Order: sequence, then structure tokens, then C-alpha cells
Amino acid sequence: MTLLEARNLVKEFAVAGTAGLFKPAAKFTAVDDVSFELHAGQTLALVGESGSGKSTTARLAARLLDVTSGTVLLDGQDVTRAEGDDLLRVRRTIQVVFQDPFSSLNPRHTVEQIVTAPLRYQKRPIPGGTRAVAQALLSRVGLNPDHVGRYPAQFSGGQAQRIGIARALAVGPRVLVCDEAVSALDVSVQAQIINLLRDLQREEGFGCLFIAHDLAVVRQIATSVAVMTAGRVVETGERDAVFGAPQHEYTRKLLAAVPRIRPEWEAARRRNAVAR
Amino acid sequence: MSLLSVRDLTVRFGSSAPPVVDGIGFSVPAGGALGIVGESGSGKSMTSLAIMGLLPPGASRTGTVFFDGQELTALSERKMREVRGNRIAMVFQDPLSSLNPYYTVGTQIAEAYRSHRSGVGRRAARQVAIEAMERVHIKEAGRRVDDYPHQFSGGMRQRVMIAMALSTEPELIIADEPTTALDVTVQAQILDLLAEVRRDTGAALILITHDLAVVSEVADNVVVMRHGNVVETGSTEQIFSDPREAYTQALLDAVPRIDDEIASLRSLGGDL
Repeated sequence: MTLLEARNLVKEFAVAGTAGLFKPAAKFTAVDDVSFELHAGQTLALVGESGSGKSTTARLAARLLDVTSGTVLLDGQDVTRAEGDDLLRVRRTIQVVFQDPFSSLNPRHTVEQIVTAPLRYQKRPIPGGTRAVAQALLSRVGLNPDHVGRYPAQFSGGQAQRIGIARALAVGPRVLVCDEAVSALDVSVQAQIINLLRDLQREEGFGCLFIAHDLAVVRQIATSVAVMTAGRVVETGERDAVFGAPQHEYTRKLLAAVPRIRPEWEAARRRNAVAR
Repeated sequence: MSLLSVRDLTVRFGSSAPPVVDGIGFSVPAGGALGIVGESGSGKSMTSLAIMGLLPPGASRTGTVFFDGQELTALSERKMREVRGNRIAMVFQDPLSSLNPYYTVGTQIAEAYRSHRSGVGRRAARQVAIEAMERVHIKEAGRRVDDYPHQFSGGMRQRVMIAMALSTEPELIIADEPTTALDVTVQAQILDLLAEVRRDTGAALILITHDLAVVSEVADNVVVMRHGNVVETGSTEQIFSDPREAYTQALLDAVPRIDDEIASLRSLGGDL
């Protein structure tokens, strides 16, 4: 069964300043008839440039925003308008990792409070106490478990993003939504977080909805790819098909614009590295 | 002779803290393109600010910077102002915060020009602004010269900044992460524009960026920085095909490739 499915999602926003006393505001359609399927253990990347609607789509699928129309199915169940206990079940199943680790971590809370917060909000029993759970979570994301008492400001950007991932993992989610989760990181740290996400997915088997504008990053992590522009999905397919033989003109334009290191330099560098 | 030559440049905040730029040196020939690459905290932006004499309060600079035979580090602030924004122009990452929202872009380009060309009237300067905007391919420049910054998209604002930089016909353009805030298709357009400008005007370029692929496409020579030091300097081909230093090798290994899935992206030690 499909883990998470979006059917014909539409999201309209009212345009500020266009409403009159008896006149409704003009509508801007941020997401326009978007459908996708996400399976367990797989990573679906939503790629596109700014304003393409990729983040809004992710927020609709994670029930962080309400749809204007369309359907969100979780394990085949319609959760589009889920409330109360039903919504709580959605929150247990879907967790989100955001772009800026520092602005999504409360600076006045210790790491222990931060990573166990989802469990407390969802009023779940915490076996062995929050300290033990927090330490186990930190170990899983490659952080020192003795640092549970520290505050976010005491960590580097890459470490803070690991804390964000630990918090998302706390409830044992089956869907992880990563919204530009590695975009703000230095290239060496970015590589570590991509590796971590790949390893965790192998161990936990969660499905991952990966929102990114960086196509080279997507190439490293995605199983399948949906290319968005102006609120619509213009192309979707297996990763290697989309990158190797893009069908839509926009996908081709996007791929052509990515700066590349010359292949002959890359080949020479590999030869030289072996010789060294 | 080099157009710009930097020797033993050091920048520090306070006397006890370790320097953020630690005795570095490099040079740029007339018409050349130098890429300075490094991760955050490597000192690459501080280096460009130190060259321009634009360091933030509390920072101090030692070492020498020669530009066209003139020692910039020995110039008074008044003399430096004749060089900065005139013979050496800068383009920053975020064009919106470099432009004043209360003035039209035409006024801003014209005033920047007039501040370096005494005796030029407003009408003549406005004409210079329109021509500069045409040169960076802003359509209907004669009309858009009267638009405000918010009426331009991010890529168009960066074109305005480049137009402003070009208006005084500088010999050197220092561009600090000029495309980092832009979408990839817009980035490609701006990089093409910078290449075209260099071809047409013969200006030299220092491109400061964290993006190794961008540097590989733009620069003739590359300086790799880390923790305020120059790790390695070489031709772009040498740096990318035969890096000598372990850090450069590791940095190149960590770059995600669009053509290839790497089994495990190599990551650099140190910052967990």
C-alpha cells in the first residue's frame, strides 16, 4: 500500500490588499493540481526553483497547511480534514525537518527538552525517562549523548541540524519530510547530513519527502523525482530517468543551468588520487 | 605586473583573539579571474572587505595591498574613496540590502557615478545609468531606470548592482557570493553576464564563493581558504584535476555531483 499519497492538491492564498468591502481578495494558486505517491523506504524529491510551490506542497502533505481542494491519504486513509485524535495520529506518523536548524530549535531549551518535546506534546509514555531517550536519540544521529544538557547555541550548524533530525525521529515517524534540510549547510557538513539521512532511512525504513532546489543534492538522495514550476508538477519519474533523459523542456533547462566541474578534470583527479 | 597584489594580509578582532585572516597573499593579473573558495568562517569575505578598507568596527588590518602599483593600505580614507566603487567595484550577495528602497535604481546608479565624476550633471549621469542598464540586458532600460528596487526580481536586482559596478568602468570587480541567493537558472544568466562584461571591458574579477562548481566555470586561478589561511593556490585546472593538499581533496570529494551518485559522500573531519 502507498504510505503517503497526494491527489490533486490545490492551495490558494488570498493576495494581500486586493480585498474590498464587498469584493473578495484575488487568489494566488501556489499549488495547482499536484499528485504524488510516496512508498516506505523510498525518497521522493520535490525539486523546483523559488516560488514553484514545492514547500507548500510538502506542508499540505504533512498537514501543516490545509488544502483548498484535493486529498491527502496516509496508509490509504483520508486524512485531509483529520482533527483531534486523528490528527494526532498523523503527527505521530509524519515528522518534518526544516531548513534553518537554529530558528527551528528553541534557544532556551536544552537538547534533552528539544528532542523529547514531540513525545511530551503527544502525551506519550517515555520509557526509562526523558534523559535516557534523549541520549539514545543523540547517539543515533551521531552526537555525543553526554551533551543532552547543552543549549542549541553551543552547537555548530551541522550539529544543530542533527538535533532537528533527532527530534523528528523521536516519535518513530514513518514519513520524514525534509524541507531544504541541507541547504543552509557548508558542503562538507552537507555531505555528512546526507549520509546520515541515507543511513537512517536504511535502518528505519521511513519514506522521505525531500524538498530541495539543489539538483546535485537530490541526485545523491532521491529514489524518484517530481519537478515543479509555477505550482505544477511538470515531470515525475525514477531519479535516473529524470536526470538521464529529462522529458520536459523545463527539466532540461533546469539541469542545463547547474554549474558543473569539467568531467575531464574530475577524471584526472580520480586518477591522481589513486596514484597518490 | 599584477593588477592587484595582496601580501601578508592579516585581519583580527581585538589583540588576543586569533586572526580571522592570517597572513595571506595572492595576486590578480589585469583582466584575470581569481576564485576565492572556502566554507563559512574561512575568512574569504573578510579578505575582500580588508582589500576594500571596509572592515567592520573593531577589526584591524596589517599587511599590504597593492593595486596598479599604488599601496591601498597606505591611502587616506579620502584617497581610498577615489579607488573604491570607481576603479575597484564590488557586487554583494544580497542586492536588496545593497540598494536603497527609497530611491529609483536610476538615481542610485547615477549618484554612484557622479560621486566619482565631478562636474557630471544629473542628465548626463542618468544617461550613463540607462546605458549601464542596457549593457546588463535590462529590457526597456529607459523606462525601468525610474523603477524602485522592489519592482525588480532578485536576478534583475543583481543586474542593477552589476550595472552600478560597471558605470565607472572599473579595472577590478570583486563579487562576493553574487549568485548564492539566486535560483539556478538565474545564476547561470548572471554568470554569463559577468563573463560577457569581462570580455567586453577587460575588467579583472575576484569571485568569492563557497560553490566549487561555480568557481570551476568562472576562474582562471583559485585560492582555497580555511580558518583564515590559504590552503592551496593554483590554476583552476590544477586545483580541480590535481589538488595537492588533503583539505582541497576532501572538499572536492564532499561536493555532491549531479551526474553521479557517490556511495558515501566523503565528509571532512573536525566539525562533526
